Amino acid sequence: MASYSRAAQQWATFARAWYLLDAKMQPPGKIAAATVLRLEGRHKPIYHALNDCGDHVVIINTRHIAFSGNKWEQKVYSSHTGYPGGFKQVTATQLHLKDPTAIVKLAVYRMLPKNLQRRTLMQRLHLFPEDVIPEDIEKNLLQEIPQPRAVPRRLDEYTPEEIAAFPKVWTPPKDFRRR
Amino acid sequence: MVVLSAARWVRSRLSDRFWRVQEVLKYARHFRGRKNRCYKLAVKSVRRAFVRSTKARREKKRFLRALWITRIEAASLEHGLKYPAFISNLLKSQVELNRKVLADLAIYEPKTFKSLAALAQRRRQEGFLAALGDGKEPEGIFSRIVHHHY
Repeated sequence: MASYSRAAQQWATFARAWYLLDAKMQPPGKIAAATVLRLEGRHKPIYHALNDCGDHVVIINTRHIAFSGNKWEQKVYSSHTGYPGGFKQVTATQLHLKDPTAIVKLAVYRMLPKNLQRRTLMQRLHLFPEDVIPEDIEKNLLQEIPQPRAVPRRLDEYTPEEIAAFPKVWTPPKDFRRR
Repeated sequence: MVVLSAARWVRSRLSDRFWRVQEVLKYARHFRGRKNRCYKLAVKSVRRAFVRSTKARREKKRFLRALWITRIEAASLEHGLKYPAFISNLLKSQVELNRKVLADLAIYEPKTFKSLAALAQRRRQEGFLAALGDGKEPEGIFSRIVHHHY
């Protein structure tokens, strides 16, 4: 930019931005993938591991994430307290009921590179179970990250005109008996 | 008194030991611990450092290429293209810029990079049309290959 001084342009290039991500009806793995990209700074062409060019990410509605398949019953989160007999195994449902942000937090923590930067980057992640965000964080937000999964509409969210206009494979005859 | 073996009593002693030691220590000054001060420890560390620096010259090339690829991927995602699509379509359009130049363009010449991304996207669409279409549509403009006869 010709109008900015060099110092001002460098300051603007390396500034840390705040992004918002709505996790409603989204798979936590894809949420984590998009988050980790921004936390590391890999979405910027000036990326370098030593540059510390990552951004803040605020994730809302973590209570409303959606696992595909039967993962709510089948996915197991294990931990050990360190004491004998302290091996704990919890299903995703139980963990989610105990702490609505834990699933997304663990997903992001496990997707980050396993180096000393991981803890610093986790401090730049802000998780909220519902829509409610503190005012000072809300003032910092710059841009919303697009949701990774396109949420399909339920049948009752379609208007009757759209349902009537939808092409039918076959129309049943008048004396067709449905069981 | 004339002593004929006096010449044998003259010992040859080193006078520039300081500079010979400094030659090694100057490469160890930024090390941690006693190996930046003590010659015996520094000799071993400096030798290992030189060996590692020689071997690292081959890995530097790999590391830099991976960095360029990360940067190009970031910039092309900003323009809605993934890295494999971008690179393959640029090559198909006979734009043979290497990853180093593309990464530098992405940082310092954003508008040029945007036009390259648009070119790759257009060539990609032409590729889809050629594959999926009936062949009745005319061939794309950017799909034409120019033959240079040197």
